[in-house]
Amino acid sequence: MAKKVLVVDDSVFMRDIIKDIFAAGGFTVVGEAGNGVEAVEKYKELKPDLVTMDLVMPYRNGIDATREILRGDNKALVVMCSALGQETMVMEAIEAGAVDFIVKPPRAEDVLAVVKKVLGEA
Amino acid sequence: MRHVLFRLEKDRYALPLSSIREVVVAPDTFTRVPRSPKAMKGVMNLRGRVVPVVDLRELLDVAPGPVGGPGRVVLLDRGRRELGLLISEVDGIESLEKIGPPAPKASLAVKGLARLGAIPVTVLDPDALDATVARAFTTK
Amino acid sequence: MAGPSWDTSRYLTLFSGEATEHLEALGKDVVSLEKGATVALIDSMFRHAHSVKGMAASMAFEGTAKLAHLLEDLLGTLRADVARSNASVADVILQTVDSLSGHVKAAAANEPLPDSTALMTRLSELNASMTGRPATPTAPSPAPVVETAPPPPKSTSAAPPASNPAAPPRFSVKLKINPASNQPGVRGFLAYKRLGTLGNVFDLKPPLDDIKAGRVPQGTITLELETDQTEDAITRTMRTVADVELESIAAIVKAAPVVAAPAEVDPNRVVGQEPARTIRVRTEVMDQFLDQAGELLLATSRVRELSRGMPAAQRPPLDEAVDRLHLLVKGLHDKVMQARMTPIAVITDRLPRAARDIARRRNRDVDLVITGEDIELDRAIVDELADPVLHLLRNAIDHGLEPTEERTAANKPPKGKVTIAVRRLRDRVVFELSDDGRGIDVERVKVLVVERGLLTRDQVTALTERETLMLVCLPGFSTAADVTDISGRGVGMDAVRRAVEQVGGTLEIETRAGRGTSFRLSLPLTVAVVNLLLVGVGDEVYGLPIGKVSGVVETARDRLAMSQNAPVLQFGQSVLPVHELSALLEVPGDARTAALVPFVVVDGDDGRLALAVDRLLGQQEVVLKGLSKPLDLVPGLAGVTILGNGQPVFILDVARLVTA
Repeated sequence: MAKKVLVVDDSVFMRDIIKDIFAAGGFTVVGEAGNGVEAVEKYKELKPDLVTMDLVMPYRNGIDATREILRGDNKALVVMCSALGQETMVMEAIEAGAVDFIVKPPRAEDVLAVVKKVLGEA
Repeated sequence: MRHVLFRLEKDRYALPLSSIREVVVAPDTFTRVPRSPKAMKGVMNLRGRVVPVVDLRELLDVAPGPVGGPGRVVLLDRGRRELGLLISEVDGIESLEKIGPPAPKASLAVKGLARLGAIPVTVLDPDALDATVARAFTTK
Repeated sequence: MAGPSWDTSRYLTLFSGEATEHLEALGKDVVSLEKGATVALIDSMFRHAHSVKGMAASMAFEGTAKLAHLLEDLLGTLRADVARSNASVADVILQTVDSLSGHVKAAAANEPLPDSTALMTRLSELNASMTGRPATPTAPSPAPVVETAPPPPKSTSAAPPASNPAAPPRFSVKLKINPASNQPGVRGFLAYKRLGTLGNVFDLKPPLDDIKAGRVPQGTITLELETDQTEDAITRTMRTVADVELESIAAIVKAAPVVAAPAEVDPNRVVGQEPARTIRVRTEVMDQFLDQAGELLLATSRVRELSRGMPAAQRPPLDEAVDRLHLLVKGLHDKVMQARMTPIAVITDRLPRAARDIARRRNRDVDLVITGEDIELDRAIVDELADPVLHLLRNAIDHGLEPTEERTAANKPPKGKVTIAVRRLRDRVVFELSDDGRGIDVERVKVLVVERGLLTRDQVTALTERETLMLVCLPGFSTAADVTDISGRGVGMDAVRRAVEQVGGTLEIETRAGRGTSFRLSLPLTVAVVNLLLVGVGDEVYGLPIGKVSGVVETARDRLAMSQNAPVLQFGQSVLPVHELSALLEVPGDARTAALVPFVVVDGDDGRLALAVDRLLGQQEVVLKGLSKPLDLVPGLAGVTILGNGQPVFILDVARLVTA
């Protein structure tokens, strides 16, 4: 069965790019969220196999949202989406429990390689 | 579909039974929410949970009548959270099947109009109601 | 980096729509900028520019991305020193916004992008003149090399199982980071963290700080991993990390044969540590540790704020030092949270005695069996549970268990049995108290609920059995001794449920007629505890995190000095702006008749300020609850808590209160 993915980013544009990458890669995007608060709610509701999480978002940033998601489910797989120059934040997210990261702008082959690794499919 | 019928002052309203978690007697006082729209009545402690409660009269622009009893709080089931709606009184549960279009100037939270015998009943949409509350906060 | 690997035209509409929104917002911000620059405003502008840059780069509009990047740089400089903002800076920003809008319009129309070279030069020159650095981009100054000790062991418990005295085997591990990786430092850090979940890492080369800074010669990392996992498991774990290859792995020390594992292994424990070495620490000292670790976190963010005022040239090394400090302090805070973990035995140890006393009073005979009492929880949760657990035990013996003769008649052993089983379930602790008594009579509960006017008959008939059982937790379900005579329960059950939910737990009840009842508490391991200064404004109570409070001054309003027509408060050597808390919160305060008004001095984002309140109500340690929709839309609220009297109280985020 296709793995379920939740895409979190405050930019609709970015979400669409990431969603298309997943669709082309054989994944099912079960939901999307535009901020960290929504991300936590959607995670609980949809129980996806994987989350891609933007770092900088309104209301609650990606690091806090990751922490909150893992507090509810310590097996959650959260992959951070970061830009170059956000290394310190990415490391903080990894401390918080994120399993991997992808760098924006996202390239399909990079995203799918990371995600498949994380899911143990590669 | 089965609906919970209730009153705001003299007017009758309805919400789908499936969208409601429970109905409780309104507490004497609410904790006021800072910087909130006028329709936000406050929060109440419901068995250890902090539940936001909206005064449905304010939200739907229903003119307040003479001060009645404490009123009831209808708790909308919103998944992992709840939204309380302060209303005047619950009338009961009725099946409403034919729901016509809403009045032209009705709030976005109104799904449509139904009739129970000769009495008109305004049917509300729980999702739109929730969104209307959020909008009241962001456009305040 | 290579261009995007998708057909960008499909996203063009979205791109132009969203980029235009950001640019319009940015344009509005520039207008506000001319009225006065604040850090919050520049932050907002920075975010918009950053978003436009990211989108343009994704669409491979290099020129647009470059222009947005230069704007971002300028705003970064401005953020460090908002006072440098002036009309001509605002002009250049506005000009850049217009030019970016031109780019987006051209892109949307599939026309060539306009040439903005002149503007780019102007932007980098302006930025250079403000930072004192040359206009050409320079490499960031190398970070100071800090030697670090090997990371602390991943242990979370002071007492390892005594049955495994042998040290776990060590492996020598060599990793190679893919040279094409975008952020080799973060990749290396991720690999290090992932191996850390398997055991303890020693002899890390290069040192962690070098890895984090991306200084990994030839992309090679070597380390020793002490773990009880197999080589195969390590290999499998590393296979889940993209862009890092496990070049080699070899066992260093042959493991001593493992003694038969204990029947119940606490998953929280690392097998095979040194024999237990523990010390006793008074609980107040642990509380102080937590307080001070919390203060350190706040102090660190204060340093970060101050660093914004430094000249831009000094900021990169300073920021890096502050980042590192922040990570260390957070590590310390986590360790202190771990050290607060207390075995649940602290409360279960006294239960056998209590059970005997209660049973004797009721002329019953009871066996109490407790398992899993060494499982640990945050001390605050353990403290909070002491009374509820005693309630549950008393209820089980008083009402759950039948009198001896009734048991014999029902073919049950004459001696009643109460079991308390504690176990870890993922990141929660499940505490289950069960009896083998008569069970709860669900129909009887329904009758009682209706009789007491808590629910109507119609409401009750619609309930499932599970929901009906939860009714025993309704306040007012049982108020008098009458329930002692029936199989219903209720003495203090509302208090039990409240206490459990207070610490973020849940309560479930299960019953089988004639077979018994069990109460299952699912509890979090830790709680977010904050210390508050409670203040009164009109009829309302608010909590201010004590870590943000610098002091309180009581004085009369008419004795405040005035500065630029606004009241100010003399506090030590400084003069602070005064805000009426009631006005900030938009709630009515007391009529201003009090002779002396308390002014609470708090740390805001842009320095200290004084909040006028109506009353001081004292300090209290509370458990913080998050805000759900729509309350999370209110700027300036950090959370909510429920006071001992049942009143919900909002906790304020002072910094956002004055800026948002």
